[in-house]
Amino acid sequence: MNLNRSFFVPVNSPLHNLNPLTKLALVFSMILPAFLSLPQLAPFLAIPILIAVFIGRVQKQYFNLLLKLVLPTILFMFVMQSLFLPGGETVILNLGIFDVTRESMQSAFYTVSRIFVMISSFAILLLTTHPSELMSDLTRRGLPGQFAYVIISTLQILPQMQAKAQTIIAAQRSRGLDTESSFRKRIGSLVPLVGPLVFGSLVEVEERAIAIEARGFTSKRVKTSLHEIPDPAFDKILRGILVILVIASFTLNLWLS
Amino acid sequence: MAFVTLHNVTYQYPLTQSPALQEINLKINEGEFLAVVGPNGAGKSTLCYALAGFVPHFFKGELTGEITVDGKKSSEATLDEWVMNVGLAFQNPFNQISGAKFTVFEELAFGLENIGIPREEMKVRVEEAMALTGIRELADRSPYSLSGGQQQRVALTSILVMKPKLLVLDEPTSQMDPIGTREVFSVVRKMAEEGMTVVMVEHKVEWIANFADRVMALKDGRMVLEGKPNEVLTSDMLAENGFGISRYTSTAREAKKRGLWKKENLPVTLDEAVEGFAK
Amino acid sequence: MNIEITNLRFTYPTGLEALKGINLTINSGEQVAIVGQNGAGKTTLVRHFNGLLKPTSGTIFIGEWETTKFSVAKLASRVGYVFQNPDDQLFSRDVLTEVTFGPRNLGYEKAKIEELVQRALSLTELTDKTDTNPYDLSPTWRKMIALASIIAMDTPIVIFDEPTTGQDAVNVARIANVIAELRNEGKTVITITHDIDFCAENFERVVALSNGQVLLDGPAREVLGQEKVLAQTYVDPPQLTRLGKRLGLKETVTRQEEFLRAIE
Repeated sequence: MNLNRSFFVPVNSPLHNLNPLTKLALVFSMILPAFLSLPQLAPFLAIPILIAVFIGRVQKQYFNLLLKLVLPTILFMFVMQSLFLPGGETVILNLGIFDVTRESMQSAFYTVSRIFVMISSFAILLLTTHPSELMSDLTRRGLPGQFAYVIISTLQILPQMQAKAQTIIAAQRSRGLDTESSFRKRIGSLVPLVGPLVFGSLVEVEERAIAIEARGFTSKRVKTSLHEIPDPAFDKILRGILVILVIASFTLNLWLS
Repeated sequence: MAFVTLHNVTYQYPLTQSPALQEINLKINEGEFLAVVGPNGAGKSTLCYALAGFVPHFFKGELTGEITVDGKKSSEATLDEWVMNVGLAFQNPFNQISGAKFTVFEELAFGLENIGIPREEMKVRVEEAMALTGIRELADRSPYSLSGGQQQRVALTSILVMKPKLLVLDEPTSQMDPIGTREVFSVVRKMAEEGMTVVMVEHKVEWIANFADRVMALKDGRMVLEGKPNEVLTSDMLAENGFGISRYTSTAREAKKRGLWKKENLPVTLDEAVEGFAK
Repeated sequence: MNIEITNLRFTYPTGLEALKGINLTINSGEQVAIVGQNGAGKTTLVRHFNGLLKPTSGTIFIGEWETTKFSVAKLASRVGYVFQNPDDQLFSRDVLTEVTFGPRNLGYEKAKIEELVQRALSLTELTDKTDTNPYDLSPTWRKMIALASIIAMDTPIVIFDEPTTGQDAVNVARIANVIAELRNEGKTVITITHDIDFCAENFERVVALSNGQVLLDGPAREVLGQEKVLAQTYVDPPQLTRLGKRLGLKETVTRQEEFLRAIE
């Protein structure tokens, strides 16, 4: 059974010790310039991202994610963009009806760089921040409790839904439902699987609503938090600097263009 | 003055043909442990929801009559105020896990965070509650990694930690082995002794007879019997109406017909049966 | 049709070794109850019988079929399996369609399907509810629909996983009745149960599992009398067995008639 349902890696590092909001600010100070500033900037942002990975001591988990999730995604996008992006004159490769041009490849490279920056930044945030801490901190700063609940519970409930689906499949196969043969049979076998899953979810949602309500979820009192999340002066100053940097990058962008 | 009063309570769920509860009149004293028995569909869970305020505040539908807990009327309270006094744990433990927390310790603190308990007090209360129900060693586990019986203990603890004045439990031991069942009944007994009022729906008749102060029998939404555990649980009426009864009772009833049981009263517990059958 | 289990070991992908060398033969027409604490391996064991799980090592034969060589859908013609939670298997708009689903999957002729379905419905007292949507009925009745939908498959072996959990006395009696009827028809019935009194009253043979191994196996009276050994897997003997012991009866009793005869 999967005991740890978050990406969080419990080690001690300077990144782990930052306030969650500061880390979120770092994430956006990467993403905003990557997407809104000059396209040439995005590839260079890989440097601070790699530095952050090592400061956060999550190399192993990050490169694991990179291999399994990030690289396939951006490779796919790169190929699609190179093939289908119109325009450009310098034809590098001709594949039947498709022309791969230097311009389309360059543009594709910038796009996937941006995507890389976005996914990587969020990955580092999730690898170095316990989800409860992130949510507690944001709730304390005014994020509605219901909103935080939906985010966290989705993270947790997806694996549960998967387990439930497995049980239902097992129950129907035990009744002679052939899920192992032809495609048509597989499609036909969806009905006996979806029905119980939907009904089960409806009951579950109602009971869960009662259970959390019974524990004061909609209480009008000011909520408190089990975890103390420090927010020292260093964090506040760092966030200030990040805001200035982001603004500076835009100004630079406007000035150059 | 009774701590809990149900006066002529009748309730019907929306879109249903007949009432789930009919003219229930009941008084429960402070610190009393009342067990509720009855066949499926008798209205036991609905009674729990009514005491905990979810009927009618959550389920809507029409409730007539009056439910009072600690001098307050449920019709005049909002649900979020009501749950401050009345705790509810029900049968399916899996659906009671909040889904918002990653460890059992955090799960138990969830309710306390919601009602604004300061951090230090929160930690003390969670520790105390875990010690009470014997789940200290589960503190750092994910609630989802636990067995059904363990999850039921967590569900019970997550309500106990809120320190309700009235504790409502709907089949809290359904997935537990005999050891777990014994522990839950002992904890509940102890809470009652400390002044918590308890209403508990259970099928396990032998345990009820050993631990509860009083039993109420429900059938088709009506209270058909109410009184001391031994009197209610040995009544002929229960056996004839599809209630669960202890094998000690049914066997002694048959033995009585054959002249093998000499006493007037029938047994519910092992000790009573041993006493009556011993030559 | 015999079930022959030899040196069965099973380890989950997580590394948890759930079965640690099980040897068991269940003969055609036997009524076997499997008891033991949560996590003892009861469900893991029976899920091998219809191929939902395949052994890490060791073998299981259902008749002359080795389970690893057949699909679950194929094995379903020999082993019926009623899951604990009926809501995991019910999906049809009405009871009749639901109960017809299994036998139709097995490819019986139309007339035979009709006959099997009618028999299953009458055995589970559902004959007057054929047009009802299963989800308009109470959980108790949904349990009976789940039973009917497996019985209608007419398999020589039927498995029940915790059939009495959450059921009231009336429905437990109904389920006991179904099991008795299957016995009369010569079917093998294997039941996982926590309800030890139900076990004592309805099964001839009891297998107690503990920690992935067979702790006790034998006639119900022999197994259920061993209070100390059963305690290892958190099972209390049946109420009447405990009473008999306390009264100093020489023989172990498990059922009412036995008890009354013993004290007469």
